[in-house]
Amino acid sequence: MPHLDAAYRFARWLCRSSGDADDIVQEAFLRAFRGFEGLRGGDVKAWLLTIVRNCHATAMQQQQRRATVPLPDDHEQALQSADVAASPDPESASAAADERRTLDQLIATLPEEHRQVLLLRELEDLSYREIAAVTQVPIGTVMSRLARARAALRGKWLEAAAGEPRAVR
Amino acid sequence: MQCAEALRVQAYFDGEVDAVTALEVERHAEHCPECRAQLEHLATTRARMRGELEFAAAPPELRARIARLLDDEEARGAKPQRAPRVPLRPRPFWLGALGGVGAALAAALALFFLSPTLTNPLLDDLVTAHVRSLMPEHLTDVVSTDRHTVKPWFAGHADVSPVVVDFADRGYRLVGGRADYFDQQRVAAVVYQHGAHVINVFTWVAGRRALPEFSTRSGYHIACWKVGNLQHCAVSDTGWDELQGLVALLRAAGETDTPH
Repeated sequence: MPHLDAAYRFARWLCRSSGDADDIVQEAFLRAFRGFEGLRGGDVKAWLLTIVRNCHATAMQQQQRRATVPLPDDHEQALQSADVAASPDPESASAAADERRTLDQLIATLPEEHRQVLLLRELEDLSYREIAAVTQVPIGTVMSRLARARAALRGKWLEAAAGEPRAVR
Repeated sequence: MQCAEALRVQAYFDGEVDAVTALEVERHAEHCPECRAQLEHLATTRARMRGELEFAAAPPELRARIARLLDDEEARGAKPQRAPRVPLRPRPFWLGALGGVGAALAAALALFFLSPTLTNPLLDDLVTAHVRSLMPEHLTDVVSTDRHTVKPWFAGHADVSPVVVDFADRGYRLVGGRADYFDQQRVAAVVYQHGAHVINVFTWVAGRRALPEFSTRSGYHIACWKVGNLQHCAVSDTGWDELQGLVALLRAAGETDTPH
């Protein structure tokens, strides 16, 4: 299944928890399968990520109608300590994980629409036109969001670096 | 506070501008410390994101679950149903694959993705670079029919070392070399003349995006091939046969090309 990894990564960022991401991706592939004829030329990856985004939006709407219980924080902590325990060199593994978490967390604090554009550009290597298609905004908006996301992220990590010497590169 | 060119600089960094604009941006950045700093920031951000963020792959269970799901879907005869079917032209081959199992869908998607991308900005860059080269004084930076002059010249001017051979006896005369800039790197352009036609052969380090083997843009034919991590593209307004003649020679030469 081509682009399953990309779809999964994007879904994880959209919902910030792996369990929900699984459901979103599954639903997206089902929709993609059913709507295959709707695909006219263009890039398959961008098309699939568009469906992922739409599935996530639908899921969010449904969730908002119900009362929601937030996932406990220790879910992620448990994952991380499992990571460290499995590594042959716990110290360096946890330092690397720290760094990753820092950037991860900084990106997580960006406004949703800025974060999406940034991830699609930097991690999934989509063109402006493809990002515009996935996020359903004009290319000009993609460009300005991207610029703002990049500036904001840089500001945040300079701030983080000032407070936490280890994160400095 | 921000330079008015900031968005263009960003677009340049993202590989979203044509070769002419790229040159303008580069010239501007030479004199604008703010934009130079911006380019540095952009590169740092990208390097950090690509280096530090987890490139999670989908868990195998999820992959298996989706494959099963699509199989079931298929078994239930839930074929893609959309709008009244009005076949204007023969059914694309990949729709046939939907009659298969989930794996067939994957194969179809893969084939579709690998088929020539209709909208690859790189192809526009290639044609732009070719056309620009035809303007007065732009064709070559180093004029020589001697490969031992042309090839070493690239060492200081491009990020790759292209195959350079004079095929004058086969009708493709080596005219010289030139450095171009697109896909965010210095690209080597080797210029050949065939009859009245100029053929530019571009070589650069291949990106993640695959290029179609043969395509035509604005009346120019583009033949692309990859050797190792190097991407080669020949662009010209010659006929296909003439262009492919050179491509065949270059491919053969590439196999035997050893540094002298």
